[in-house]
Amino acid sequence: MHLTREEERILNGEEGEAKELALRIIVKVGEALGAERLVDIKHAHVSGVSYGTIGDHGLHFLEELASKGARVAVPASVNPVGFDLDDPQLLEHVGVRLSGEFVSKQVRIVRALKSMGVRATLTCTPYYVDEVFDDVDLKPGDHVAWGESSAILYANTVLGLRTNREGGPLALMAAIAGKTYYWGLHLDENRVPVVGYRVPLENLDEAKAGVLGELIATRHNESHPPYVAARAMGELGIREFLAALGAAGSIAMVVLEGVTPEYKVLGESVEEWRVVSEEEINDRLEELAPTQLPEVVFIGCPHAAAEDLERLAELLSRMKGKPKSKIVVTLSRRVFEKTDKSVISKLREAGVLIVRDTCLIVSPFGRSDKVSVATNSYKAYFYLSKRGLPVGLAPLEELVYLAYGG
Amino acid sequence: MVASIFRIKARPLVPGAGEGRILYVDALSFYGEVDPVRGKLVDGRYVKGRVLVIGRVRGSTVGSYTIYGLRFYGNAPSAIIVVGEADPIVVAGAVMAGIPLYDRAAGIDERAEGGFATFREDGLINVVLDDG
Repeated sequence: MHLTREEERILNGEEGEAKELALRIIVKVGEALGAERLVDIKHAHVSGVSYGTIGDHGLHFLEELASKGARVAVPASVNPVGFDLDDPQLLEHVGVRLSGEFVSKQVRIVRALKSMGVRATLTCTPYYVDEVFDDVDLKPGDHVAWGESSAILYANTVLGLRTNREGGPLALMAAIAGKTYYWGLHLDENRVPVVGYRVPLENLDEAKAGVLGELIATRHNESHPPYVAARAMGELGIREFLAALGAAGSIAMVVLEGVTPEYKVLGESVEEWRVVSEEEINDRLEELAPTQLPEVVFIGCPHAAAEDLERLAELLSRMKGKPKSKIVVTLSRRVFEKTDKSVISKLREAGVLIVRDTCLIVSPFGRSDKVSVATNSYKAYFYLSKRGLPVGLAPLEELVYLAYGG
Repeated sequence: MVASIFRIKARPLVPGAGEGRILYVDALSFYGEVDPVRGKLVDGRYVKGRVLVIGRVRGSTVGSYTIYGLRFYGNAPSAIIVVGEADPIVVAGAVMAGIPLYDRAAGIDERAEGGFATFREDGLINVVLDDG
């Protein structure tokens, strides 16, 4: 691999042990993949920070890195953790019991990351956090290193940023080095779609959008990103579509008609068109539909936007009595702060559990009790059903009716 | 007992020299299929000190931390050899843990299980099999 003089200096330890290790990891990964050089990044989003997944050894690695003086060279945000930092036992309402050890070690992980200069966004939707964009002016074409599959797809598809599917420690290493390997989706030629999917469907709600994500993830075996021509999905639909794609497969980018910057130019190179029919989507959604009154209705995977809370509050205001299911909404602390306080109080009056910094997938939810769930997120369906829980998929309106006993 | 010896040239990604008995797995996701605390694969076989030969690597990116965990808990293999292509997960983990890593090691397969491997920094790997 070609290295600049600056990169050689870092590898020789002239900017400290931590930066040397970070760059060495990036260079080795790049060499293994056949990258010819590195590229400067403007931002990183760090995933793989839950104590439940990285354990004592992950905690040790991060604390040791911090003690060696590691600092991020570019602004960086971070994924959700195992609980709401302001109220660690909040998910006890849905059967999650955390040990004091779990809480204190998760707090140490966050502290280590903060000491490296990582902004503690604690969300899978860093693109809804204003401070991320205050930290750095991100524009289409900019190179970044993001972890978290749903956010990676959002970065490439909606924001026009360039990132591969980073994860585990790699996005953090890129943040410390300020660089990543110039490979994959950082290169123009790998962002050009060859196969397109037409979706002749008038009304694509977020549950159908998620199913569409699954269908494309399982059918698209080409290395180039798929081009997708579908009716306007809205922000929620786009988020659920992309999250489903990331959960059900390894795709890191879509060229979405009307959404992706440069979709017009990119769409010209599509050579083969495939159709995903309304019937296929409806049939699959029917298979996934809730079959019982769920104990928990889960909204906010990926983390909810302020508009989702407003819509939920509006739907709940039409209902009479109290919901029979526990409604859980997960979101970032930043979105929580900027949501209208009257919306928050309306939701709380209706018994909605609003949880920040975490979600039901990252937390050990359902690990000890078999809780039944209904959600509008295909991604949540995908991961929670793997945990052995009965999970149904339906759009928000239906979830609200369901929560009140249908 | 008859012994057969063969030699292959693999790509050294994290070079190192050493030796160990071969532990072969067709496909491996470090996260979920390796317990770093006990140093065991899901099938119960121990990893410590072995030359871990993996047909192909897959799985969650958290796997890099699991590889680091093997070192942290004193259960590191003496080397990791990927028969196919190494992925970013195993490369990052091997660098973090300081475990020698080789890939593109065509020629080793499940018949090498239990054999004895010696590996060099330049990627030359010697395997001695008991054919008895």
